[in-house]
Amino acid sequence: MLVGLYNVKVSKAGGAVRDRQRKYYCVECYGMNQKPGVCTFCGTGCGHFVGVENNRITRVYPSQNHPISKGRLCVRGWNIHELLDTPERIRKPLVRADGGFKEVSYDEAVGRLVDALKKYPPESIGFLASPRSSNEEHYLLMKLARAAFKTNNISLDSDSGHRASLNVLHAGTGMAGMLGSVEEIRKAEFILVAGIDITRQNPIIGSEIHMAERAGAMVVTLDSRRTQIAKLSKKFLQVKPGANKLAVLALAKTIYDENLSDAAFLSAHTEGFEKFRHAFGLLPDNEVADRTGVPVEEIKAVARDLAKSKSAMVFFSSGISGLDEDTIGYIYNLFLMAGKVGKEGCGVNPVAGLNNLQGGYDMGLAPDLLTGFQSLADAAVTKKFADAWKADVPSAPGTPVYEMLSNQSSKLKALVVVDHDEGIVRYADAIKKLDFVAYVGAFKNPFAEYAHVVLPVATYVQEDATFTNTERRIQFSMKKIEPEDGLLPGWKLYSMIAGKAGQAWKYTKVSEVMDEIARLTPSYAGVSHSKLSTGFGMQWPVDEKNPQGTGRFDVAKAGRKLSFYKVSDVFEVPAAKEQFPFLLMVGKAQHFWHQNNLMKKTHIPMREYNATLMDYPEGYVEICPQSAKEIGVRDRWPVRVVSPHGEMRVAAKVSDDVKPNTAYAPYFVQEMISRFLLGHTEVLRQGEDATIPVRIEKV
Amino acid sequence: MTMFLIKKADVGRIAQELGREYRVYGPMIEKGSGQTFFDRADNVADINLAAPIPSNPPKSVVFPQMERILAYEYDRSKNAVKMEPDYRIEPKALVGLRPCDLAGMLCLDRFFLGQEFVDEVYLNHRKKMFIVTNTCVTPFKQCFCVCTDSGPAATEGFDLNLTDLGDEYLVEAGSEKGAAFAAKLDLIPANDSHLALKKEKVDKSISMFEDIAVDSKAWISRVMNRVTTGFVKEDVWEYIGDQCFECGACTFVCPSCSCFNIADVNNPECAGCADRLRTWDSCSYEGYSRMAGGHNPRKPVEDRRNKRFFCKLSYSQMKKYLRPGCVGCGRCAWVCPGDIGLPNVVTYVRREITR
Repeated sequence: MLVGLYNVKVSKAGGAVRDRQRKYYCVECYGMNQKPGVCTFCGTGCGHFVGVENNRITRVYPSQNHPISKGRLCVRGWNIHELLDTPERIRKPLVRADGGFKEVSYDEAVGRLVDALKKYPPESIGFLASPRSSNEEHYLLMKLARAAFKTNNISLDSDSGHRASLNVLHAGTGMAGMLGSVEEIRKAEFILVAGIDITRQNPIIGSEIHMAERAGAMVVTLDSRRTQIAKLSKKFLQVKPGANKLAVLALAKTIYDENLSDAAFLSAHTEGFEKFRHAFGLLPDNEVADRTGVPVEEIKAVARDLAKSKSAMVFFSSGISGLDEDTIGYIYNLFLMAGKVGKEGCGVNPVAGLNNLQGGYDMGLAPDLLTGFQSLADAAVTKKFADAWKADVPSAPGTPVYEMLSNQSSKLKALVVVDHDEGIVRYADAIKKLDFVAYVGAFKNPFAEYAHVVLPVATYVQEDATFTNTERRIQFSMKKIEPEDGLLPGWKLYSMIAGKAGQAWKYTKVSEVMDEIARLTPSYAGVSHSKLSTGFGMQWPVDEKNPQGTGRFDVAKAGRKLSFYKVSDVFEVPAAKEQFPFLLMVGKAQHFWHQNNLMKKTHIPMREYNATLMDYPEGYVEICPQSAKEIGVRDRWPVRVVSPHGEMRVAAKVSDDVKPNTAYAPYFVQEMISRFLLGHTEVLRQGEDATIPVRIEKV
Repeated sequence: MTMFLIKKADVGRIAQELGREYRVYGPMIEKGSGQTFFDRADNVADINLAAPIPSNPPKSVVFPQMERILAYEYDRSKNAVKMEPDYRIEPKALVGLRPCDLAGMLCLDRFFLGQEFVDEVYLNHRKKMFIVTNTCVTPFKQCFCVCTDSGPAATEGFDLNLTDLGDEYLVEAGSEKGAAFAAKLDLIPANDSHLALKKEKVDKSISMFEDIAVDSKAWISRVMNRVTTGFVKEDVWEYIGDQCFECGACTFVCPSCSCFNIADVNNPECAGCADRLRTWDSCSYEGYSRMAGGHNPRKPVEDRRNKRFFCKLSYSQMKKYLRPGCVGCGRCAWVCPGDIGLPNVVTYVRREITR
């Protein structure tokens, strides 16, 4: 026997090993134990059933009749039971004592938290929310920050891209969310996938696009790297890194030059086209190929495809890997001038990478917003909340937490962080310098190491909850198992904190939180747990006019003109220079590992993640065979990547998916991020759209 | 063969009687979503023989998605380890198994039990089992068992087989255990005329595939030849591989897929204690075929897809299972985000042959 090799005594007798450990099976249990729910990895919101045995989640199975996932799950969804069964949980409230942590009661830990926060003025307190929390938890955290601690310094972890999308769509149409609907993808004749590795990030939406393509839709991918969806598209515009916006401008210009825009739609439903038209003069045809890297005729052909289609959708990335607001503005304007907004099979669709990112903004987790994108600057809105909460609501907008952490002279002293998603803690030095940090979460997380108080919460299968997916679908996830060791669900914990801070919240069950949200939020007005408990959720706005929800934005019901978004005429395509001849792109790579904090608590997805790390232990930079030959390296040979701001030593990965003189680095290898990418503020600001000119040398 | 008749209204008695000795599993319809699951029955009356083919194969009864197979405790001071295998030995009755799913289980038997090494964990799941199959008198939309020799009626491996003859079920015993159990139920004996009636029903079911089983036109035999001999062009596999999302769904829903992963999980509340888990695994995952040292014989996704269809369609694999590895249930086509379920793959390979 193998253990014999290590000279270990083996005894089979003695017994009771199993009894001391967690019980896996329950022979005494009966009952059909498939419980319906919503997958909580990405923003797609697929339906699944989890198998419950002996108060544990032991398996998962797709939901066949779910309108989005229709019986499919991705590699993450198929293994979610491994995460939900992990022993890597935070099980007891902890407070810092004698250099370590001490287990204490909730009462004591919450007392410490409240005492600490009360010491500081509101401008010195910050709340960093998680895009994974439920709507109810989101809302109560927002209420806690504003009503109990009087601060508007509240922001979502992973905040760059999605807010940009919401700003554009809200200004243009009044709807701060995806204009289209996943269910309508198969009705679109033309689909543009712009700068998103969608079959990795949101695989089931990618699948719907693939199915539409197979049924005849013209699917076009616009990207700098040959992604899977690029291979599955009918046309692929492989632009130079950073040239997305120029390519979109070239598409719009073609539609204008060839008089292909929907003139009737433009005059009846839109305003502000004149200002957008101004941009067309900035890109002469003879410069298109040189500046975008794609022949002008290819771009023109795609513009004609878009214009002549009866229905068209565009998908682009939101969240940490999002496009910048100006590029999103160009994309929206392109589809608006083509008349592809607010009709069946149409949609300008930002795709949220995380399960409740949309819900986070819906619940007002932003320094300047209350729920449903209601502005904090609107005195009537602030008063409505103050009256309902019986508390003053601070009206001056706050500052996003990461902005405060990056600012040396910020007043931030105390920080409350919820379920930090990334394995990498940004601004660790600034966080160490804070007087007080509290961490609230269900799973063990490196962020807790910085905390003075750690408060555990139940997981999402241990309490009723709702989540809002990327297409505004509010879905109910029923409680499936009991929390262990007296762990509190988020709503009870936040109520306890509020109580100690002098705010008596009187919720007796979590559904009452949603009732309060509905009273204060026009787009959620018709939502309640009982209405959501049957069926597969409702897409907001859910109100008197739309009691069953709103599948997609409808121009006929808009009651206003749609505005062209005010865009810039600045096109800074990062240029390769003599000393830095490669344009380095940064992205998610392979599977979208959610910064691996959750994935590291699974078995199969962790192995897949580790396989890449074992092949390329210090990370990799992807280059094409021609570049590899010029540098004189082969696959897995070490190279040095040098930028104006720093350098790193990694392995070369040789592949045909990038063009000559472009390179690709994955944003998930801890060493690469902490040693190199964190030195590049544009990466933190722009995520996947960031491009860094570099030199790559043989080591 | 011992044969009986049982009135439709009484057919529930079979599961009820089995419930005295066995933990009963069967097809049930989940009320909220209308989805059929093959699962453990709280109330045996919930078992619905008329339910559509279950969304999940019964594989999870003998080969759970995640199970502990061993618990161990290492005492560092004594350099000693206590090990306890964890087997589920309770008797189980599967009632209303579809013929394709039984064929899948026979493949699993031959993989886990029929080779040089016998898998103890599987053996303990399987050994005290009573199987009642249910003839498919009408096919479902995605079925193609007639192309894989696994239906619409089971021919081996059951204890009892039920066939809906209209007002009553024909109950055929396929084993001594089955005959002895049926004898206890005090049923009306059946004769050759009922057997003829069953044949009529089965023939009619086969004739209905043309109109009902429209999702899957899988002409398997010709493709088996090609896959076995390896004469499928690289670009066909690349075309298929490009569409693979590497989710693993096809393997998880396949009644005959048997690959698994082993993981040791430390118990944070008990120093030195660990659980050894066995979980489903999939050849579509890159890490699955990766070897220590980094070599991966099937690194490109198309090579991994090629492997799966070799398992399901090649003659060399048939020698192991004594039947085709594919049982024609059509579930892989249901769950595939890339639309490359086995019937489509067969179509793509055939398209090349006919070209």
